Amino acid sequence: MPMFLREASLKRHTVLDLLFRNLTRVSAFGVLILLAAIIGSLLVGSMPAIHTFGFGFLTSSDWDPVNDKFGALIPIVGTLVTSAIALLIAIPVSFGIAIFLTELSPRILRRPLGVAIELLAGIPSIIYGMWGLFVFAPLFADHVEPWLNDHIGTMPYIGPLFSGPPMGIGMLAAGIILAIMVIPFIASVMRDVFEVVPTLLKESAYGLGATTWEVMWKVVLPYTKIGVVGGIMLGLGRALGETMAVTFVIGNSHELSKSLLMPGNSIASALANEFTEAYGELYTSALIELGLILFFITFVVLSLARYMLYKLGQREGQVS
Amino acid sequence: MTAENIANPKITVPKIIVRDLNFYYGDYRALKDINLSIAEKMVTAFIGPSGCGKSTLLRTFNRMYQLYPKQKAAGEILLDGENILDKKQDLNMLRAKIGMVFQKPTPFPMSIYDNIAFGVKLYESLSKNDMDERVEWALRKAALWTEAKDKLKQSGTSLSGGQQQRLCIARAIAVKPQVLLLDEPTSALDPISTAHIEKLIDELKEDFTIVIVTHNMQQAARVSDFTAYMYLGDLIEFGDTSTVFTNPKRKETEDYITGRFG
Repeated sequence: MPMFLREASLKRHTVLDLLFRNLTRVSAFGVLILLAAIIGSLLVGSMPAIHTFGFGFLTSSDWDPVNDKFGALIPIVGTLVTSAIALLIAIPVSFGIAIFLTELSPRILRRPLGVAIELLAGIPSIIYGMWGLFVFAPLFADHVEPWLNDHIGTMPYIGPLFSGPPMGIGMLAAGIILAIMVIPFIASVMRDVFEVVPTLLKESAYGLGATTWEVMWKVVLPYTKIGVVGGIMLGLGRALGETMAVTFVIGNSHELSKSLLMPGNSIASALANEFTEAYGELYTSALIELGLILFFITFVVLSLARYMLYKLGQREGQVS
Repeated sequence: MTAENIANPKITVPKIIVRDLNFYYGDYRALKDINLSIAEKMVTAFIGPSGCGKSTLLRTFNRMYQLYPKQKAAGEILLDGENILDKKQDLNMLRAKIGMVFQKPTPFPMSIYDNIAFGVKLYESLSKNDMDERVEWALRKAALWTEAKDKLKQSGTSLSGGQQQRLCIARAIAVKPQVLLLDEPTSALDPISTAHIEKLIDELKEDFTIVIVTHNMQQAARVSDFTAYMYLGDLIEFGDTSTVFTNPKRKETEDYITGRFG
């Protein structure tokens, strides 16, 4: 009898095993299929726009739903510029936060500060948007933008970027809000990777007489570069696709302006704002093509990051 | 500890003089009234069982302990007559004078060349040529030049363990320090690499004052001129290496070096 039971349970296990193996396989391939399906449906959806505008879609700044003329230049520029501003601010700030949390902060402060940063990451983006529109933008218009106009706006070359009417909302405001949103992501990844750097490696650098800054910049950062770039990419991914917060403060205007203080538009924000009112096949199709472009930009950015890491490894002579 | 416990080695030119040194990890007293002198351009070894304070003592010489807020040293450590425990002592300049090599090889994540140039660049701005010369000089001193000269641009981590440790020695001496602290430098190495390093220590003492911590008594006997035996934070015996190993004054030392204890 026991023998028989054993055989039955073995048989059952074999069946379960097979089931389990196929389940994992289906899950893994499911992701691929899903990805292909999304790309496919975006392509199909944007076909009418691609046929009508061709490559001109990418370089045209027209956005005229009444006459069915569409171009993606303004949202593309808006997305790239706001994300670039966000990273420009967020990377150094996050680096500072991570250095403070791993090297300089007194032990009792580390946990509360770390938790605070993680909580910041958990705030829904619509709240950042509301805060940006009702609190940040007025302050920005009253105190920061006039100063920018007076001091940086008069400089050669970069002056035009910072001159314009102080409205509060605009590309610069959107970039700053985005920076606040991505800092927690980048900072917590940086902190995590800095914490796993071997103590002996840091002591070796301190032992040569390096300062904390030199140890962090020349030893810890190169040692953790893969993790750090990963964290930055995580932040960039979020900044590129962020919708609600940007919609609130970017101004949603299809105007191309040299000034960062002027309103603009981003891909995600244009999609969110206009899908409900997109009548006609071409309008909808243009919006779907915008989505496809956003997808493509994200893909290119991630590939570039991988390539950069590969090149860095090569320069150091340790290509894997 | 009283003076009669020390074999009073004849140190004519002391580079470092330690006076009444006490060390605390929080409330725990890890070093108890240590007094000893380190002879210039000689090798001094600290031996003793784990936890005896030998590494702790070594780490007071470049104030490495100061990275950790709860660790404190009290007393005097005179380097050429100046108290390095003084609050006014500039840590970075101190560490330019006193280099250190650790238990495990710790090449920085950069090329072999940059590993060595790293420390030099902190203190001097050399021309490309001078820096090339300095790197070669340091690598030759560390007996790594022939193995590394064709791959200076390669990552320091591409070397074998023993080569990495010699790279770390080269990196430490490239700064041209006066004292070299070696904290169990061969504990992670195979016997052949260990022999390389020991030979190297012998050559390096022409230019540098060397202090080595080791858990390997034979190593201390082979490489050092003076030996300090420590136990539970006390300096039990300090003297000429030959005296300490052949004719120790204290029974505890004898028990330890004959393997009856430890």
